Amino acid sequence: MNKKFLVGLLLGLFAIFMFSSFTLAFAKETLVFSSRLWSVPTEQEFIIENVIKPFEKEYNCKVNFQILDDKKLLERAEVQQKTNHVTTDIVCAYVSNMPEWIEKGYVEDLTPYIQKWTDRHFTKAFSYGTEYNGKQYFIPVGADVYLLIANKKALKYLPEGADIDNLTWEQFVAWSNATRKGDGVGRTVVTGVPMKSFVYQFGAISLSYGAGFPEMVTPGALKAWELLVKMKDDFIPSVLNVDNCISPMKREEAWLSWMHCARAGAVYSSNETKFVVAPVPKGPAGRGSIAGVSGFAIMKNAPHKDLAIKFLEYITRPDMQVKISKGTGGFIPPVEEAVKYLGDDPEDEVIAKAIEVLKNGKVSGVPGQKFQDWGAVKKVYDDVFVKMVLKGDGKVNMDILNEAKKKLDALRK
Amino acid sequence: MNNRFMSKLIKKTLFYILITGISLIIATPIYFLVSLSFLSSREAYQYPLPLTPAFSSEFKIEKGRKGYLLSIYDPRLRGFDTVIDTRHLEKISRYMRTELNVIMSPKEIEKYTKKLETQKEVYFKRPKNIFYNYITFFNVTRDAVPALIRSLEIAGLTILISLSIGGMAGYAFARYMFKGKNFLKVSVLFVRVFPAVAIAMPMVVILARIGFYDKPIGLSLVYSVGSIALTIWITASIFMGISVELEEAAQVFGATKLRTFFNITLPLALPGLAACAMYAFIGAWNETVSALILTQFNPTFSVVVYQSLLGASGQINLTAAGGISMALPMVIFTLFIRKYINQMWGGVKV
Amino acid sequence: MSRINAIKLKKKWAPYLLIAPTIIYYFLFWLSPVLSAIYNSFRDPSGKFTLANYVEVFTHTSFGVAFRNTAFIAGVSVFIEFIVALLLAILINQKFKGSGIFLFLAMIPMALPAVGAAAIWKTGLTTNGWMNSLLYYLGIIGKGTRIHFLGGSVFSIMWLIILVDAWQVIPSMMIILLAGLQNLSKEAQEAGYIFGANRFRTLMDITIPMLKPTIVTAVILRLISAIQIWLIVVLLFGFDRIPLLLERIVYYKEEVSRLKNSYQIASTYSVIVAIIVTVAAVLYLKFSGAFEKYEETGDENE
Repeated sequence: MNKKFLVGLLLGLFAIFMFSSFTLAFAKETLVFSSRLWSVPTEQEFIIENVIKPFEKEYNCKVNFQILDDKKLLERAEVQQKTNHVTTDIVCAYVSNMPEWIEKGYVEDLTPYIQKWTDRHFTKAFSYGTEYNGKQYFIPVGADVYLLIANKKALKYLPEGADIDNLTWEQFVAWSNATRKGDGVGRTVVTGVPMKSFVYQFGAISLSYGAGFPEMVTPGALKAWELLVKMKDDFIPSVLNVDNCISPMKREEAWLSWMHCARAGAVYSSNETKFVVAPVPKGPAGRGSIAGVSGFAIMKNAPHKDLAIKFLEYITRPDMQVKISKGTGGFIPPVEEAVKYLGDDPEDEVIAKAIEVLKNGKVSGVPGQKFQDWGAVKKVYDDVFVKMVLKGDGKVNMDILNEAKKKLDALRK
Repeated sequence: MNNRFMSKLIKKTLFYILITGISLIIATPIYFLVSLSFLSSREAYQYPLPLTPAFSSEFKIEKGRKGYLLSIYDPRLRGFDTVIDTRHLEKISRYMRTELNVIMSPKEIEKYTKKLETQKEVYFKRPKNIFYNYITFFNVTRDAVPALIRSLEIAGLTILISLSIGGMAGYAFARYMFKGKNFLKVSVLFVRVFPAVAIAMPMVVILARIGFYDKPIGLSLVYSVGSIALTIWITASIFMGISVELEEAAQVFGATKLRTFFNITLPLALPGLAACAMYAFIGAWNETVSALILTQFNPTFSVVVYQSLLGASGQINLTAAGGISMALPMVIFTLFIRKYINQMWGGVKV
Repeated sequence: MSRINAIKLKKKWAPYLLIAPTIIYYFLFWLSPVLSAIYNSFRDPSGKFTLANYVEVFTHTSFGVAFRNTAFIAGVSVFIEFIVALLLAILINQKFKGSGIFLFLAMIPMALPAVGAAAIWKTGLTTNGWMNSLLYYLGIIGKGTRIHFLGGSVFSIMWLIILVDAWQVIPSMMIILLAGLQNLSKEAQEAGYIFGANRFRTLMDITIPMLKPTIVTAVILRLISAIQIWLIVVLLFGFDRIPLLLERIVYYKEEVSRLKNSYQIASTYSVIVAIIVTVAAVLYLKFSGAFEKYEETGDENE
């Protein structure tokens, strides 16, 4: 019996070795596509089922689609370029990292190919990251802005005369206060787990009051902090464990939030009769929001460059862009021709509202390249949120803010 | 006599209450994880959370403002809950799939919506695809199978390396008296004080130099560092428990030292070695941080799971399915070698 | 005469030969990365020798808090886990129906991957999670009330972490101690009874001293890994909310890896953590008298 066990173990190991070498030997031509976008599993599934599989059929190839975060993407590109062994064909990177990709020469100039696609025009708002010295290296995809989302249970506490599609931040704060008082427990949520999206949620408010992004003690930023400390008690009790506002909203632990449009779309379309979405509230300077975008690029010396270009042509077709945006919850398709394909489903409503924020709002990108580490910048804001807003005395504390500003400045390149 | 019987019965009852209590404490969280992995998104975000997953859903379709109104029967409300108003049947089909784990093509739905021409509303019940979360998980984890094989390979190699190298040393510590023994035995343990994460970074360069970077063998070499130490300590105590007389008796009958070891000592030590193998397997199988650093194109299963769940904090039922898929091979392995571990205690001795 | 000498000679080099592979292995795959980390901890980003990394770690990176938190969690959890595991092992140390299933069940928490454990406690401890649902179904809390497990003070959160950790660790620790108990000779314990000692005295004077080698092994391994706890905390609370020593390393290595000196700070932390764990382990071994114990067991076998 004992011998059998050992023999079985050895045979099993041998079989594994054989099998793994076989699978490697039969691998056929494969396009490698690494993306930071669509990291949410249902989004991944949608992309694989509705975008990648049809492409594989049409062009008789395989696409190896993998999700990687921005840091890992860059690290891998660096290893591949340095060892001169490029295996990734297409990357999808975040806008704030694009300058690094381009300056280091990891990606191809796509201008000549894009000029041939006459049926589509990419939204100019995003050219600041995707273009460089007049050449286009990245093709924008999956843009996002911030939207307001509320559970209908909170509607009865909405201040009188307030229009949810035209809320000011003061009205939002009053609404949040009234909801807490009416319900007895805080119902507003932001991401309290460090290095998630609080800095963007803060950015939306401060931009509405004329601040730049990211700022800490300018008048606009101070106004934003002032409003946040007024909501001190309004946040849900487990706010510090929220790394993604979708869960508490879907669980109905939280009733009020403002978040990334695709995530708002995910909440909204899970039960459109339970929630309402609206453009993010506004201030004297307009409707502030962070606008992010990702972009496709082809790696220098990519092994399957021709196929990669075909894939990019395929995936940026206007109808395909709308299909992707809708299927993944409500990203804005950055192709101008795409808008005419919008319908009246919840996702279309989310996209339409997001486009309105993007067009008429006071939006800012994420200036990640100006700082050593963007995660550390996020962390500075997260700390102020805990120290001054949640655990503070309900007033703006200049000592905390000045210290945070010092930390922020130290992180600048 | 009767009294003794009674007190024995009470003792026994108390004992089983204790065992049941501990089992419940261990099992309840595991039960919820398993149950969660079978819940649809809609169920997973309800409060109170359902104790058991539903196996089917009841639907109602009627004409709505935009197109069709879809409602779902909710046992907590004892009524239908309207969720969606759309003119696109694909949208309804997709909603059923992603929110309720019910697979129904637009064509099938059309059969019911056609009836709306003659009647006001139409009801139907559909079974839920209970494994839908798992299917989605393996769908998005596209290179799951090669990664799974790779992980098994790594775990196997780790067991081989740490049992052979560590077992030898363990035998030496158990059977011989030599200078520096205590110092060596304690210092072996101290390889574990240096955090594994901190070892992984410089290892990139070292493994790349010997051509083992991004290969299963490279990772198992790293994992073996920790498990060799553990193996030495466990095997040393096992070999100590095996009587020297038995070995000597065999040698008297003319067996060589090597043969004695393989025919007498090793079989006796097998249960303990199985336990070591289990620890090595668990360590290699579940490790993610070093694997993230030390692999590039050939990730392990844990890395693949980690990556496909990177953005899954909003989908807890999928995370649960991923966690279970990862734990399952581990649990099967434990089940398989359990009887060997059981021999170590209880099985033969009591 | 010469024959005896030959055996002695053989015995002299045999153990070293058996241990040699381990030592060579550690030289290749442990010592070099460790030396590289130590080297990096004394370099600035441009490669010059500096002590600034250590200064920065001790002054600017929440080292004090991380140390206090780790010491508290590790100290309390090892103590509680050990006591409970030992008690359970002693109580369960008998043959019973269903022991196979029970022990299999006890092995599962240890085998769970971090994603699984995190999924369990994230969904369990959140306000509308399964813990509150379960309490509601059991009739302990009303429909409107919820316990905010995660919303408490740092102190209560630390206890929560200890409980979560205990759930995963106690069963496996119990198995190790149970294995040790089963290997003890029954005679010695029975002798205790014969000489009139009660159960408690037998336990304290005979069973536990005899179990000591197993206890020392179990506790020392647990102590080393308890000081290195981080993953479950980060999965529940994110980075830098409850700073811990190992969490600091991963934080600088993975989360804010693009600061000028991230790599150096992470290396410095690794070295400091290694020193702290070593000191804790040596103190424990000294305190438990383990060093002498090994001497004795060695003699017995000789």
